[in-house]
Amino acid sequence: MSDRMLLATFEHEEDLLDAVEVVRKKGCKIIDAYTPYAVHGLDRALGLRPSRLTWVCFVCGMTGALGMLWFEYWVGALAWAVDVGGKPWNSLPSNVPVAFETAVLFAGFGSVFALLGVSRLFPGKQVLPVLERVTDDRFVLLLDETDAQFDVSTIKAMLSPFNLVALEERVVSGGELQ
Amino acid sequence: MAPAPLSSSNASRKLALLAVISAIALAVGAVVAPERTWSNLLIVGFYLVTLGLGGALFMALAYISNASWNVGFRRIPEAMAVLLAPAGLGLLTVLAWRREHYGWHWHGEGDAGTFWFKELWATPSFWMLRAVVYVVVWVLFARAFVGLSRRQDKTGGVGLSIMSKRLAAIFLVVYAVTFSLASFDWLSLLEPMWFSTIWGVYHFAGMLQASLAVIIVLAIFLRNRGPLRGFFTDEHLHDLGKMLLGFSCFWMYIWFSQYMLIWYTNMPEETSYYITRTQGPWGPLMVVNLVLNWIAPFFILLPKPSKRSESVMMKVAWVVLVGRWVDLYLMVFPSTIGKTPVFGIWELAGVGLLIGAFGWLFFRSFAKAPQVPSGDPLLGESLHYHC
Repeated sequence: MSDRMLLATFEHEEDLLDAVEVVRKKGCKIIDAYTPYAVHGLDRALGLRPSRLTWVCFVCGMTGALGMLWFEYWVGALAWAVDVGGKPWNSLPSNVPVAFETAVLFAGFGSVFALLGVSRLFPGKQVLPVLERVTDDRFVLLLDETDAQFDVSTIKAMLSPFNLVALEERVVSGGELQ
Repeated sequence: MAPAPLSSSNASRKLALLAVISAIALAVGAVVAPERTWSNLLIVGFYLVTLGLGGALFMALAYISNASWNVGFRRIPEAMAVLLAPAGLGLLTVLAWRREHYGWHWHGEGDAGTFWFKELWATPSFWMLRAVVYVVVWVLFARAFVGLSRRQDKTGGVGLSIMSKRLAAIFLVVYAVTFSLASFDWLSLLEPMWFSTIWGVYHFAGMLQASLAVIIVLAIFLRNRGPLRGFFTDEHLHDLGKMLLGFSCFWMYIWFSQYMLIWYTNMPEETSYYITRTQGPWGPLMVVNLVLNWIAPFFILLPKPSKRSESVMMKVAWVVLVGRWVDLYLMVFPSTIGKTPVFGIWELAGVGLLIGAFGWLFFRSFAKAPQVPSGDPLLGESLHYHC
């Protein structure tokens, strides 16, 4: 992470969306955008690639379902075959409900823990909000300022049509901004 | 806004022609092969009625949940609901033609051993009376929904939306009871000795799944042909895809719930239904049914890009619609035709009548109103919808 950054604050999500578009067109590097809630279309405006979490979810779910089907077969037909209600030892219909539940369980836990892991969130983690009000009613755009050509006044002129509330320079040493 | 010209009159004429040719073929069939013709007509009638009812149900669900996303293409379910009157009339005629198929006498199983209430319930006159009541009640509700929405085009305002919402609440309760009984009366009673208490839910799942598939097909068609261009966006398509995916899973869930309990309990009066349909020549069709209605839609619609792709959604919707026909075929034909699956000229004519009559009636009623409900206060929200 860079040391010098520029923090632009907006009051409305529409302004943030428009600002992101303009800034990206100018070729400035955006570190991240912070909003009080999920803003529709922001991921596309920022040019983020589609989330890979869905694949984690799918693979976990399939692992749960197939793993449990195999386990039920091993238990019910190979390791300790028990006659239940005169049914055949390897009865698929009786295995489906548990396989389904396991698929849901694995998919759910897998997605949640993958998300927490990728975002490096864990209990007791210290969070340094980029701006207190970003959890309430402000929208923040964080720009990288390490580029030699970076000029704050140009940026300010560029962003002022979007009801810019504040423009602030930050220097972060060693820490991580959330 | 002025309605864009519906340039589908040519398609409409072709569909009407298809319906007429199929109807003539089936009229011949009524003399040559009455049993198979009747079975096909029952499928066609039930399919059409559930699509009409599905349109009304889709609107009612949207009204009661205060949904705005569907407003831009609401004229599609509305035009489907208009279909309910002619389709209902057709189905009632089909039912009246062979009402002796229902109940225990036809099967020669005698009165002995049948639950007394079921015997009373299957009395032909009472059975027919109920059928008429169901259809009339549904038609009245469907007309009320469509009438309120079209009135709003002229008056605007939120008052009529609130009225629709109240009506939706009443309709959903009435629908749940009447449709459960109707599906039981018209399809399950073909095997009077058989019991399944989840039958109504199973039909709710199948009906909504097929109705969503039809809405998807029509919305894509109408967007490409003009009337819904700019009103039906990829966001709407994405949401319809999510609903189709969800209700395909729901259908599978209910199908399995019915099958597993019967398989597990293993009581002869319950297993008879599945023994015919899973063993012997009907067995492979049962697998096809599951593939078309769940396996294919589930794995294809799971990734996000496929739900936003017009061509993928169109194909999956058609797969589901074929699956719906196979599902109904598997309910009716083993009971009425017997040992082996048949597919020939009469089934083809049935499918022709289904597509022709639906398409022709749909485009006729769609052309009667502006292509979007311009008076609905939620229209703007629907057009800017982002999912």
